[in-house]
Amino acid sequence: MTTAAADAPDRAGSYLAHGRGARSWLLSLDHKRIGVMYLVAIGASLLLGGVFALVLRLNLWRPSGGLVSNDGYNRLFTLHGAVMIFLFVIPGIPAALGNFVLPLQLGAKDVAFPRVNLLSFWLYALGAVLFVATLVAGGIDTGWTLYPPYSLESARGLGILLALGALFVVGFSSILTGLNFIATIHRMRPPGMGWFDLPLFLWALYATGLIQVIATPVLGITAAMGFLERVFHLGLFMPEYGGDPVLFQHFFWFYSHPAVYIMILPAMGVVSEVVSVFSRKPIFGYRFIAMSSIAIAVIGFLVWGHHMFVSGQSRTASVIFSGLTLLVAIPSAIKTFNWLATMYKGAIVLATPMVYVLTFFAIFAVGGLTGLFLGALATDVPLHDTYFVVAHFHFVMVGAVMTAFLAGLHYWWPKMTGRMYSERLGLVSAALTFVGFHLTFVPQFVAGVLGMPRRYATYAPAFAGHNRLSTVGAFVLASGLVVALYGLLRSLRTGRPAPANPWGAASLEWSASSPPPWDNFERTPHAPPGPYDYTGLRHVSDEVGWVRGEVTP
Amino acid sequence: MGPLVEIAARLAAAAPRFLPARASSVAGDVDRVFAFVFWLSMFFFVLIVALTILFVVRYRRRPGRLEPEPSPSHSTRLELLWTAVPLALVVFLFAWSTRTWLSMTGAPSDGAGRPLEVQVTGRRWSWWFDHPGGKGAAELHVVVNRPAELVLSATDVIHSLYVPEFRLKQDAVPGRFTRLAFTPTAPGTYPILCAEYCGTDHSRMLSSVVVHPDQASFDAWAREGVAADGSLVALGKQVFARKGCVGCHSVDGTRRVGPSLKALWGREEKLADGTVAKVDGEYLRESLVRPGAKVVAGFADVMPPVALEERELQALAAYLQSLAEAP
Repeated sequence: MTTAAADAPDRAGSYLAHGRGARSWLLSLDHKRIGVMYLVAIGASLLLGGVFALVLRLNLWRPSGGLVSNDGYNRLFTLHGAVMIFLFVIPGIPAALGNFVLPLQLGAKDVAFPRVNLLSFWLYALGAVLFVATLVAGGIDTGWTLYPPYSLESARGLGILLALGALFVVGFSSILTGLNFIATIHRMRPPGMGWFDLPLFLWALYATGLIQVIATPVLGITAAMGFLERVFHLGLFMPEYGGDPVLFQHFFWFYSHPAVYIMILPAMGVVSEVVSVFSRKPIFGYRFIAMSSIAIAVIGFLVWGHHMFVSGQSRTASVIFSGLTLLVAIPSAIKTFNWLATMYKGAIVLATPMVYVLTFFAIFAVGGLTGLFLGALATDVPLHDTYFVVAHFHFVMVGAVMTAFLAGLHYWWPKMTGRMYSERLGLVSAALTFVGFHLTFVPQFVAGVLGMPRRYATYAPAFAGHNRLSTVGAFVLASGLVVALYGLLRSLRTGRPAPANPWGAASLEWSASSPPPWDNFERTPHAPPGPYDYTGLRHVSDEVGWVRGEVTP
Repeated sequence: MGPLVEIAARLAAAAPRFLPARASSVAGDVDRVFAFVFWLSMFFFVLIVALTILFVVRYRRRPGRLEPEPSPSHSTRLELLWTAVPLALVVFLFAWSTRTWLSMTGAPSDGAGRPLEVQVTGRRWSWWFDHPGGKGAAELHVVVNRPAELVLSATDVIHSLYVPEFRLKQDAVPGRFTRLAFTPTAPGTYPILCAEYCGTDHSRMLSSVVVHPDQASFDAWAREGVAADGSLVALGKQVFARKGCVGCHSVDGTRRVGPSLKALWGREEKLADGTVAKVDGEYLRESLVRPGAKVVAGFADVMPPVALEERELQALAAYLQSLAEAP
């Protein structure tokens, strides 16, 4: 096996070894290091948001609560939502995995604007610090949706101003990342790679970038207006100064609904990669999948009013928003059936990333289909602001996005760290998260249909059973995540060295060594025959991985 | 659409048993839409999971089956099929659900008598219901099979009135009026919950709606303990006098600087700009905040803005309404 030794990655020359010490990381312009820093920061946010969630669930064990005060509960669910959404789910896949993978998939040395990329990370970090500072300032209890008049009343002190500042800053981080990705995909494709030769993960990041650049400024503007309203009483949102609270809802959801697609589109991109590689078959219907990403991004801008069917907005508006909302079902259905068709007659490998993706299919199906209940006007009226909505968006944002994040993390882990994780622990974590997730959120659908409103610190005793199941489920889910974290961290010490291409994938990132050298590729590689063309790839051994063409052992 | 509605209606009979009781005229319609979406979702969910499992079992990579079998990399016909089928289903769902919703949220139908109009005030953390005849109460009283119309407002932050058994919900928003019309169909007492987060005791902002078995029972309750001058109308009359409205607006039809308010409520008024406006709560609110916005034709734009508390505004509305109903 001398060849294997020669082919073994040269860790000494990898990006991980390129410079030592905190400075070489914190000020690095290398997209891979920035991606890893994002990964650490996002992992910490997930941990923080997760601990908030467990305390919330424990408080809901008894109908009368009692573990924390009502105000304490309100502050906890606010920060749980804000931290999870703004610091974990939105940046999760694009900023951590996207940053690492995007230039590699293009055969490029970095993103188009490496300095902007670092700025974007530091803005994220500053926003995260501001969010944590709200905790020190006594916390906020407004809900992550920040609806006035409640959120902008004089009783809410420094905390709300810090939170609005955090949104503003985090928003810019997201805008800059989106801008960077769009520019990179436009300008840095290698010779021979046309738009329809891009890996679908890049189509997804491109569509995401469009939403980030167009929608996120509205979040910044809304936060700024909220700030000015609170400090100078301009009369924008507060009735007592002559403003309109429903106007805020329009502004808020104009960003925050497309934000759901900022979360789910990259997740869909990961799924497209993984399902093809682990079925050993080209993705089915490439163009339909690529175009459905763009369709979701476009329609996603025109559906925000479905959050406001009972707010008193005009009936005409409600009808139009309902129709457009239901249309999102079509690109989602196209993607789902194309993924399934990709598996048809494939040679399916049940490695951890693929198992996560298989659970994604079931979870995304429920998350998407329950959206029909909420997009349709007649059924939304009773279900709006109940636990049905809580369960629905957790299926999409936690279930689907986090599952895809874990699939992508396991899939690219060997590339990022140069180590193979333990398949056994990976499969255990996938099973635990799947079971725990359903145990947590299926009872919430039932409670919601029965009429339990959301954001309730206390509830009618009739719902005790649903809530207890949910609490047990939350701990099972948490244990799954702990196993995943343990498995990944352990691999850093004990994992077997990863070959350049452990999965037999065809996209360009797998032609760089694992971990890649500091400048990714010695010379700009030529585009492969296709991102999903597996002909000619042969599995040599676990040490060597997959190689293209004939290899003499 | 006929046969599909038929099928859906049959499925509704097999609707999930866990739905709350139905106590309003729209609850059955909403549940039929719910059942349709439920079974539609079930079908696709089972299809997706079954295909996933089937493919994993049949096409797993294993010794003797290391390579995929040849199969097309796309099929426009197949892909158009799973574009068109969901599209057709979604269009059908949209049409049905929207029709149901329009009838849920429209004004109560004529012929069923005048609706019972109740002014609802949400405040932290309780509800207040001003019933016709001046009876105010912490819970809502309505009459079975008599249409009711709630006019909601809030004095502090947004609240939302939610009655699961009615399948209805409506936000109460500070600074505007919202409406909720319904017809209760089963006597009894049902919980009212606040569905829009409003702070510390949001989860304890509970009340109930009492559906009286007949009008007589409601009337008996409504007369109980009402002081002659405690009604909204009486308060409205005081506000009308105190705020100086009476200087420019008569209540007996005499023309002064401003239009007389006699029999004004509910009328379509011709405006200075040629358009027409219905005189209702929203019109009243706007005319007090921005008197120049909709000036009645033939009158000068001279009225100053008038600052009122939310409850004073409600009372004024009730008073103007009583003027229109006076013989």
